[in-house]
Amino acid sequence: MRTIKPMPFAILLGLAGCCMALPAVAGDGSDSMRVGDLQYGNGLDPRGWTPLMAPGDEGMSWLHPGQLRTPSGALYPYPYGPPTRPLGGGDWTYWGLLELGYIHVNGDRNAEFFRQYTDWKNGAALGLFALGFDNRKTGGYVEFRGSRLSADDQYYRLRAGRYGSYKIEAFYRDIPHTVSTSAYPVWNGVGSTDLTLPSGLTPGDSTIAAVQQASRDAPRRSIGLTRTREGLSLEGELYRHWIGYASVTNEERNGTRLWGGPMFFSFAFPSTGSPYGGNGGVLETVRPIDFTTTDVNLGLRNVGKLWRFNAVYTGSFFRDHKDHLNYQNPFLITNVVGLPNAGLVTDGQFSLEPDNDYHNLRLELSRELKWHGELSLAAAYGTMRQNDTLLPPVNCTGTLGFAGGPFQQLIPCADWNTTAALSESSAHARIDTGLFDAKLSFHPSSAFGWHADLRYYKEDNKTRYLAYNPLTGQYGYISENGSQGSVVPGEVGIFDNGYYSTSNVQIANIPFGYDDTLFELGVDWNASRDNSFNLVYTFDHNEPKHRERKRLDEQRLKLSWVSKSLGDATLRASIEYADRTGGHYDYDPYEAYYSASLPGYVPADGIAPTAFTVDAMRKYDMSDRKESKARVILLYPLGESSTVSATFYGSRDQYDAQVGRQNTRTTGFTGEWDWQPSPRTNASVYVGAESTHLKFANVADNEAIVGAAGSEDPSLGGPLYPLENYWHDLDNERDYNAGVNFSHDFGRVRLDLGWNYTQSLSKLDYAYASTAALTHPDAAALTPDDAFPNNHYRSSTFSASLGFPVTRSVGVRLFGQYQSGSFLDWHYLGFDDTLVYDHRIYTDEGPQLHYSVTVVGVMLNVKL
Amino acid sequence: MTRTSILLLAMALAVAAAGRAQDAATAASAAAPAAPFADLRRQAPVRGDAQAGAGKATVCAACHGPQGVAVAPTFPNLAGQSATYLYVQLKQFKEGQRRDPVMSGQAAPLSDADMRDLAAYYASLAPKPAGPADESSRGAQLYAAGDPANGIPPCQGCHGADAQGPRPVPNGKPQPPWASFPHLRGQSAIYLAKALGDYKSGARADNSNARVMQGVAQTLGDEDVQALGAYLSTR
Repeated sequence: MRTIKPMPFAILLGLAGCCMALPAVAGDGSDSMRVGDLQYGNGLDPRGWTPLMAPGDEGMSWLHPGQLRTPSGALYPYPYGPPTRPLGGGDWTYWGLLELGYIHVNGDRNAEFFRQYTDWKNGAALGLFALGFDNRKTGGYVEFRGSRLSADDQYYRLRAGRYGSYKIEAFYRDIPHTVSTSAYPVWNGVGSTDLTLPSGLTPGDSTIAAVQQASRDAPRRSIGLTRTREGLSLEGELYRHWIGYASVTNEERNGTRLWGGPMFFSFAFPSTGSPYGGNGGVLETVRPIDFTTTDVNLGLRNVGKLWRFNAVYTGSFFRDHKDHLNYQNPFLITNVVGLPNAGLVTDGQFSLEPDNDYHNLRLELSRELKWHGELSLAAAYGTMRQNDTLLPPVNCTGTLGFAGGPFQQLIPCADWNTTAALSESSAHARIDTGLFDAKLSFHPSSAFGWHADLRYYKEDNKTRYLAYNPLTGQYGYISENGSQGSVVPGEVGIFDNGYYSTSNVQIANIPFGYDDTLFELGVDWNASRDNSFNLVYTFDHNEPKHRERKRLDEQRLKLSWVSKSLGDATLRASIEYADRTGGHYDYDPYEAYYSASLPGYVPADGIAPTAFTVDAMRKYDMSDRKESKARVILLYPLGESSTVSATFYGSRDQYDAQVGRQNTRTTGFTGEWDWQPSPRTNASVYVGAESTHLKFANVADNEAIVGAAGSEDPSLGGPLYPLENYWHDLDNERDYNAGVNFSHDFGRVRLDLGWNYTQSLSKLDYAYASTAALTHPDAAALTPDDAFPNNHYRSSTFSASLGFPVTRSVGVRLFGQYQSGSFLDWHYLGFDDTLVYDHRIYTDEGPQLHYSVTVVGVMLNVKL
Repeated sequence: MTRTSILLLAMALAVAAAGRAQDAATAASAAAPAAPFADLRRQAPVRGDAQAGAGKATVCAACHGPQGVAVAPTFPNLAGQSATYLYVQLKQFKEGQRRDPVMSGQAAPLSDADMRDLAAYYASLAPKPAGPADESSRGAQLYAAGDPANGIPPCQGCHGADAQGPRPVPNGKPQPPWASFPHLRGQSAIYLAKALGDYKSGARADNSNARVMQGVAQTLGDEDVQALGAYLSTR
């Protein structure tokens, strides 16, 4: 007979008894079913259960007093008691709560940061409706809860099942996500696939003043979307220890998003006084969001005494119900060589995200071994496929471009505005992935353990698309719906053996992928009762496909130390060092995907194509890198009811790059004091500060020699990339947060107070060898400090809640929240008078510089 | 205010009114206020004057026997029982957390010292002699190992391998209130069945130890209770 040790079992029993007294309120943790969201809450009640979350005297165990600290000394919150006294006789008991009330918002109610994820409205709101049924005899349960602030901000969830046997969950949820509350799009049809100009504006023939007036006349709009999610999941024992689970979640995203609308560079062609402005165009349009993502999860697992098995299929199916965006351009675009344009570029078109499917099958098997060991094996195969019908390269009609003298740059739209202009009618895009992971661990004694892990992952991109027009025999695609080719000679975006034989343009997709092999070896050593160490070595070998390096190797060593030898304090410290190196760095591995690799390509004037980029460039994910990290966490219990904790952390990354990202640095601190002298009182104070730093260097190309001799030279310091064009920037950011929270139950009244503060400051400094490094050398005089104006974000929220019972089953909660903030981002400066500058149309005025909002409300809650 | 707002608020007020009416009805039908829940998790072992207790036990002997061995199987044997357990029971009878037509009245006039002395006295008596228990019986199996398939924990975890109380080894870690757990050896099957029934029905629920036993009793069927009673009464 198995010997059962009395004391540990008694502890388990006490824990079980304690938990059985609670309803399923606390069951919001992670789950194998992966359906729905882990956290159900909203702006009114982020925790989702507040009216039911009353800390109880029961604690964590009926056997032990206290038990409110983790092994490292942090305080657990007092467990919540039963939400209401269960009602009903017989095997089934039930409980329920209804909270209804009225919310009033006052102040800058449309402030972007106030509305970001909550659809606050004046009016009645359903704070919470929760209803539960429990059968103590069979372990059966049914639980429902829901909350509604508005039609775009609500959730409902139903769970049912029998403990140890099966469970079912269904949910429905709407979550708002507001991006801007002060957008002024000039177009009609916002939210649809066709943006048309309002009356008063003529495509390709509008004055700047007319567009400015249209912008002023445009009504203020909010840009954002609503996520509507619904799902169903099942899990249950199919046969003995075989458990099956299945879930399906469907998410629809509907709304709008700020988008672009290129009509070739505008900054290079400023207005010279014409009422029609300069040339080119940069338009901030609004695109529709009409997505559906359906996730499917099917699995089977077995947990035996020795073996454990899990097989899971995951499928994700994305559908975009609006596959394109057409927009009209109000401005005139003309070529730079002074020839008459064959036609006006009045329309732009975006192909939006294609439908795609994802499948993944994963098998996991593990077995217990002697010496407290375990062998775990995992293998997975995945495939991502996208085979949407492709749109024609352009949607123009007639003829674009210009012709005259040596310039015969006409674009017959009929040759390009049909799917017959495509080499394939659909994308045939496919990426396959494979994974194998084997892990072995042993703990032969309580003082020593080790593990080894070997992991192989492959991402095989099988997509091969050649941009070839069988109607014309040309390669490439028409850039920017024809606008670029209507402005600049030689920049249509296509290649052929005739007029465009000197064009070096991209003609095929680059099938990025990689193979990655990782080996890890780790040891655990409990040196004494109060000190333990962990050392992990990792070797990561990566073979990127079609990238600058064919091999990347990173070695990493991490040492961790946990100590309880400093009195009552627990210290956790770790240091980590990693060194990444690799094979030869090829600054241009993409030649095969450009027309210069095709037969018939002729260098213009006998000069090789302009260098792809500077050869000193090291992309940050490909460069040699030395990384070091350190973290110290100190936790000190102050008496029985409070804890002080502090965390210091930092990381340094040094990249071996003359051009590109050079280093990053993060240093931070968090401190917290928690106090909970009884279930009726708790308080906490926290502060945090973090500083991040990023240094980036680059060199501007010498535009004067592009296309001339020397432009093929990629060397830093050469004619195309002279050292006087070298520059770098320093991006510094400092973030702070702090807060004080206090709750006390006075018996008749419960008071909750909270103040939370967040601040972010960022500064971008730069330096350059000479003003030749600047696109606009004249701009140097405008920023004598060699820095952009500082950006900042600040938000402060004070909240208070007072709850008191009216009768035994009826209670009232009065609450208020005052939120204020400020924001400054120099990207949004200059919009006081107009959102239209020359051929640039901005739509989003940006977040409010200062705002303050007050939310007050009263909630009546009734317990069954 | 929108029509929806008015409707929702009207619903809330209606439900509140209904709740108030229900409260009034409940309050009218309610008996005396419930005694406070007794948290025994910090219960220290109880000491008393056994000799003084002997002098106060005259009335008790009528049911529990002159030497603490009950005169009928409906009454518990007190001889050799944990003094802390006995004290807690007397205190709960006196304060109303535990109710019994006889014991509530008997405990009412006792002072705290009386209860300690009585508890110490009965704890000092020799327990009922052991009987010929069947160690292969279903009851013995449940007591020693429980029945994991049916969620039944082993009783010995808290009541000791020999049913004479646990004998924990101090290890510097927080300990359950071992002294407040009763010794079960030699109790009658009838009394044990009643006690388990009271836990299962919730009649005994107003202290932290009873909450543990509530969970245990839920797992036991009638046959299990009989088997345990038969085994423990003959030990």
